Amino acid sequence: MGLAIKETKEILHDVLDNTGVVVIYLDVNRNIVFCNKKTEKLTGLKHDDIIGANWLKVLFHGNNSIIKQEMFKAVLDECVRHKREKDFEGVILDSDNNQRLISWNLTPIMVENNRVAGSILIGHDITKIREAGNSAKSIDETLKDILSSLKDYALFVINLEGNITYFGMGSEIMLGWNKKEIIFKHLNLLHNADDAENNLHFILEQVRLFGKCEKETTLISKNGEAIPVILTANKFLDSDGKHSGYIFIAKDITERKKLEYQAFQGEKLAALGLLSAGMAHEINNPLLVISGRSALLMEENLSQKIKNDLYLINSQAERIQKLVDRILKYSQKTKPVFTAVDINEAIEFILPFAQYSNLPNTKVEIKNNFEKNMRPIKGDIHQLQEVFLNLIINAYQSMPNGGIIQITTRNFEDHCALIQIKDTGLGISADNLKDVFMPFFSTKNDGEGLGLSICHNIIKNHNGAIELESQVGRGSTFTIKLPFI
Amino acid sequence: MLYKVLVVDDEAPVRDLLSDLLKREDCKVTICATGEEALELLKKDTFEVVLLDIKLPGISGLEVLKNIRDTNKNLPVIMITGFGYNEDLIGKSKEFGCCGYIGKNMPVAQIITTFKQFVKDAKNGE
Repeated sequence: MGLAIKETKEILHDVLDNTGVVVIYLDVNRNIVFCNKKTEKLTGLKHDDIIGANWLKVLFHGNNSIIKQEMFKAVLDECVRHKREKDFEGVILDSDNNQRLISWNLTPIMVENNRVAGSILIGHDITKIREAGNSAKSIDETLKDILSSLKDYALFVINLEGNITYFGMGSEIMLGWNKKEIIFKHLNLLHNADDAENNLHFILEQVRLFGKCEKETTLISKNGEAIPVILTANKFLDSDGKHSGYIFIAKDITERKKLEYQAFQGEKLAALGLLSAGMAHEINNPLLVISGRSALLMEENLSQKIKNDLYLINSQAERIQKLVDRILKYSQKTKPVFTAVDINEAIEFILPFAQYSNLPNTKVEIKNNFEKNMRPIKGDIHQLQEVFLNLIINAYQSMPNGGIIQITTRNFEDHCALIQIKDTGLGISADNLKDVFMPFFSTKNDGEGLGLSICHNIIKNHNGAIELESQVGRGSTFTIKLPFI
Repeated sequence: MLYKVLVVDDEAPVRDLLSDLLKREDCKVTICATGEEALELLKKDTFEVVLLDIKLPGISGLEVLKNIRDTNKNLPVIMITGFGYNEDLIGKSKEFGCCGYIGKNMPVAQIITTFKQFVKDAKNGE
């Protein structure tokens, strides 16, 4: 039996020595009567130095932090007073003077008559666990940094009531809202509720039904601008896995849309060009007969009345002829003769001609803002002059009450020349803006609607780009980009 | 008589008009509607100038021109077309050896003036 008890004690010692935790037995005077090897290892003190010493002197032997010692003392006081165990966290220094974060458990030892005979202190070193937690946090931070740098993406979260609870990544840049302004505001701010297809509630319905929804749609920015996006919506689950809202990731596709639109316009124009050429050919033959026969008849000995009518027929045929010529010009791929073109010179040359288009009794001022050292571009000077002339004439005609035409040239981003022709005229409505480069589209009563489509074709054949920005009542700006030689 | 002309155009009102216009200028005019007919006529008869439409049913005006050039290097051939001024067609016509190109979009008076100028230049060896 005696042997058995001895063996049990040894086993207990072994167990206590080999557990990964600190085990300390305190007497009622709070002196240590037992400690395991982990205690020696952690504190760096020898067994004999520990046994009999005050627990706080042992635990804080290398640290005079009164506050920490007071905290440990308060915990033990409470345990003893209330006769119940207590868990707490506290930092001590190890043998190498490194801070160790320990999760402590302090339990009073109760003997007969509900008396406290001492306490057991068990400490679990959680420094590494917490460090791992911290580094996980720093990965989160890194991800957040990376995601924040993706300015084309907006990430926002709403709760089940539709209120925005998170507004991160590029949301502020893309949508113009400041985080503080929009947090807890309703999702309705970001979409056009009247637009059934782009309604975010419709997207949310899809998420509810199918768990996820990806859709090309538009979001409304703070200043009311519609921003085309690819919107991915998912259920947002909280840390307990409970559905607590929706997470949206929106990718700004404005640039892509622009390119798609240009390509679409290009194809449409090419198809129209082909159609126009075929039609023009079919019109030219009968038209030649009409104008030719009427011209021949006019030379016959006929009454003045008939001659007048024949003249009318002939002149109207000629009118059609001119229109057909314009259509043909638009549709034909006339090969540009490329040479080095000085844009400033090309524009200066046509300015006197453009001024003839000034409407009567209007005062139009032309302001030139030419870059002095314009790099030459590769182009057909006559075709380009036709473009500039057309645009300046347009500018004149759009200002029946006078105004300012500002012509700007500059070297743009090292690869192309930028030419801007800006007027302060009537402007074009947003509805009409998308059609201005289409043939036969005109906002002028007497316009045949080919001028801008010809300009578009010419610039396209020069591997350039032409864009129009306009606001009703404020004027229009044509921007042309042409690659340098 | 100014010139003996062969007018080739598939559209009757057009070739009749061209014929009438040239006759007024004292030309002797023969008309036909296709390239095949034109080549046949050229074998049988001698002409001083051919006014040849480019877009024809069957063999095109450009092929007719090529055929003419295989046998006759000097016969003035003037191309005429409803496509108006077209650089591709002008380039091809010149390559195949035409001496002029007229768009049907011109006023009739100008068509005749241009026609006469081309023939004159061709005969002067230009």
